[in-house]
Amino acid sequence: MSLNIVNVEKRYLNRASGTTINALNGVSIKVEVGQTLGIVGESGCGKSTLARAVVGLEVPSAGSITWDGKVIDNKAKDRLKSHHSQVQLVFQDPYSSLNPRQQIENSIAEAIEVHGLVAKDKITDRVTELLVMVGLDPDLRNRYPHQLSGGQRQRVCIARALSAEPKLLVLDEPVSALDVSVRAEVMNLLIDLRKNLGLTYIFISHDLAMIRYISDVIAVMYLGKIVEFGTWEEIIENPVHPYTKALIAAMPDHSIIGDPTMLARTLEGEVPDPVNLPSGCSFHSRCALAVPSCSIIAPTLREISNGHLVACSEV
Amino acid sequence: MSNPLLSVSGLGISTVQDPRTLVNSVSFEIMPGEAVGVVGESGSGKTLTALSILGLLPRGVAIAGGSIIFNGTDLTKADPETMRNLRGSDISMVYQDPMTALNPVMKLGRQLLEVIESHEKLDDGSVARVEAALREVGIPQVERAMESYPHEFSGGMRQRVMIAMALLLSPKLLIADEPTTALDVTIQQQILALVSEQRRKRDMSMLWITHDLGVVANLVDRLIVMYAGNIVEAGTVQEIFTNPQHPYTHGLLSSLPSRTDKSRKRLTSIPGVPQKPWLVGNTCGFAPRCFKVTAECTASAPKLVGSLEKSVACFHPMGDK
Amino acid sequence: MKRDPLKPKGGFYYYMQSTSGIVGAILLLFMVIVSLCAVFGWLPHDPLEQNVEFAMQGPSSNFWFGTDEFGRDIFSRSLDGMRRSLTVSVSAVSIAATIGVTLGILSGYLGRWFDQLIVRLSDVIFAFPAILLALAIVSTLGNSWYQTSLAIAVVYTPIFIRVARGPVLTVKEMDYVKVTRILGFSSLRILRKHILPNVTAPIVVQVALSLSWAILTESGLSFLGLGTQPPNASLGLMVSEAQSIAAFAWWALFFPSAFITIVVVGLNLVGDGLRDALDPARRSS
Repeated sequence: MSLNIVNVEKRYLNRASGTTINALNGVSIKVEVGQTLGIVGESGCGKSTLARAVVGLEVPSAGSITWDGKVIDNKAKDRLKSHHSQVQLVFQDPYSSLNPRQQIENSIAEAIEVHGLVAKDKITDRVTELLVMVGLDPDLRNRYPHQLSGGQRQRVCIARALSAEPKLLVLDEPVSALDVSVRAEVMNLLIDLRKNLGLTYIFISHDLAMIRYISDVIAVMYLGKIVEFGTWEEIIENPVHPYTKALIAAMPDHSIIGDPTMLARTLEGEVPDPVNLPSGCSFHSRCALAVPSCSIIAPTLREISNGHLVACSEV
Repeated sequence: MSNPLLSVSGLGISTVQDPRTLVNSVSFEIMPGEAVGVVGESGSGKTLTALSILGLLPRGVAIAGGSIIFNGTDLTKADPETMRNLRGSDISMVYQDPMTALNPVMKLGRQLLEVIESHEKLDDGSVARVEAALREVGIPQVERAMESYPHEFSGGMRQRVMIAMALLLSPKLLIADEPTTALDVTIQQQILALVSEQRRKRDMSMLWITHDLGVVANLVDRLIVMYAGNIVEAGTVQEIFTNPQHPYTHGLLSSLPSRTDKSRKRLTSIPGVPQKPWLVGNTCGFAPRCFKVTAECTASAPKLVGSLEKSVACFHPMGDK
Repeated sequence: MKRDPLKPKGGFYYYMQSTSGIVGAILLLFMVIVSLCAVFGWLPHDPLEQNVEFAMQGPSSNFWFGTDEFGRDIFSRSLDGMRRSLTVSVSAVSIAATIGVTLGILSGYLGRWFDQLIVRLSDVIFAFPAILLALAIVSTLGNSWYQTSLAIAVVYTPIFIRVARGPVLTVKEMDYVKVTRILGFSSLRILRKHILPNVTAPIVVQVALSLSWAILTESGLSFLGLGTQPPNASLGLMVSEAQSIAAFAWWALFFPSAFITIVVVGLNLVGDGLRDALDPARRSS
């Protein structure tokens, strides 16, 4: 079983200005069952669009996404449903992802009820089980979301996603909105759940430190494309693409202290507008290694060592 | 030793109606030319502390006690006119959200000129001064930028404009409230480098507020750690990062995933959630989450004791390594 | 099973926390009782009975609110007028709310051409001043009470479309609604369980406010001679008729006007109270 993303493109048409936003420009990636894929990149790199496409919230403009060989296609209603229960998403903001008028118990029980996942008289027990699984006191079941803290809410969101008995969990910045002192607990929970339930994760974040901590393989995205892919050790210890290098250098680091040279500028300029994509390599405008041909020929991912792929002609 | 530029002592902030303590007896000093970081989570009182220095506390929240001495003047007793003169010229601020901090219907050049105009008379040199300030923070094509509206700039560029605006009148103290939180990491890096460079060049004091320990590690000289409305630990960056004394600081630092640990061992987590400042009362606010808690911790509040280099408010500090 | 101290309380509890809500409810209750008296005919005098002998008398123990130029008892007429005003406005608002909310929610949720159509249609109705449109409809349809109700309903339907559609547009983009799609729930369930409960607050408040406007509109129509017809009583018509004699008989103008004011203020206060009670964020404090 695996998730297969093949040449996915996503464009949004802005009717008002008549322009097209190129959110995803040909992304191919394969996630094996039990693996955790970390996707890192800055805002506008397409990582959240990809997450939404994987769970079926967005229909790709081109390319295909299959889970366990089944195509994810909005037209095939039944397939979508079965796919849906196997692939779930946890959003970044635990404040907007729970229905404010629904008690915790109902939020978690709803999918179980609708899809008849357990017998009617066992639903309460199942909810208790899920609450305990995510480290919440089952007595919280009658609360409304606003009576919980951010960390507790995110645990409820995780429990709700798990209620559908998914195989693949897409985690879109799951700890970024939480207080710093609460993040570690949620990260530990995710790692425990992965082990205990045999889950496959796609962990999306702009925070390379968290990505590094949880991922087996890491994909670095820039302007709707994967620029580098490899095992976590390879990407962190031996980055090859100039963008990956810059990203790692820009990571705020608490292990190096009082060294102003740490603040040296690593990367000039800003991410180009996804409406007018640069020709050739989309990173050439900010790249220190760029040669004239970079603005003409778009590099494709090529393998430089076992399982380490990079899209750059100059390395 | 020179006198501190800013000296906050016993500062308390609470809500006006049905008084609830939000910041409880906070004391710290900033020397001329020194950069101090305030680290804390949401609700720790770090932003309110900064806003109170500028006299810009939100509606319904007021200073409940203590003093804020800036350059010999007690700002808690200053009249609105004095405060207005001080803001922008002697003390200026950079906010978290560059999208909302600029007036969307006013050209940038005009907005910057207004800053000068509000404190001194405009003259022939004013436009050149604004242009120089924009150039200094790395805005390309300055003449065109002067005629542009804020929406024509990216978040990073807007934050640069905000910094140019804050530095325009050469303040003695720059207060920065998480100015890089809304930005991407590579842009954050650029902004941190810019601020660091400008601060050294101008020998300006700085108060940098953040929830991200990584951001301040190489930016400031000293750190203040706030928790539930109190300062729990303060000291030099070196001391705080390498030898944290308060269990909260210690827990926070060890909960961050390491950049070098190959084994990716389980993160140390702090159980529970941050305490509300008004519920702390005369106890240690961290006691409910602390692994070293004893009866003493809930019987009275620990005082911040120690030197400028290192002080901690804890009955059972971690002890030297 | 031990009771959770934070177990949510019912909406009624929160409504009773609001001062304006309580005052509004008391005013409204009073007016409903008054109307019920008229329905059951518990009136001191026949509201239509003329008696020139007692014309233009001030308030007394026999005629509590005095009499008009035909010697009719203003107290009885006010009560009967209140009944008629409430009947018209309640039926008008019920029709407008039912149709408007249904169209508004579907319009917001379905989007595309259906949304375009509904929005354009309500814009057209919105373009007319409310009282003018109601006037036009009443003069075409006729002026019995249900025709007046229908006219007011047409005028108010676009308001409900707008009040329901706006929040639906916001709520359907919320992550918790997206989650329900990922969980494979049907559109009907999403609408009923996740969208409707989160848009009811503004709708309920709008019902209270619209009722008060409808009473004013009905009064206005009657005042202009197009609503309730003489010799029947409605609050608006009574104010209209009292104009000519107000200089000599203040009571003829004062009491019906006071009734209108009380019911309108009462409904507005109820609207405020409901808004406070239905907002979970306001509750948490």
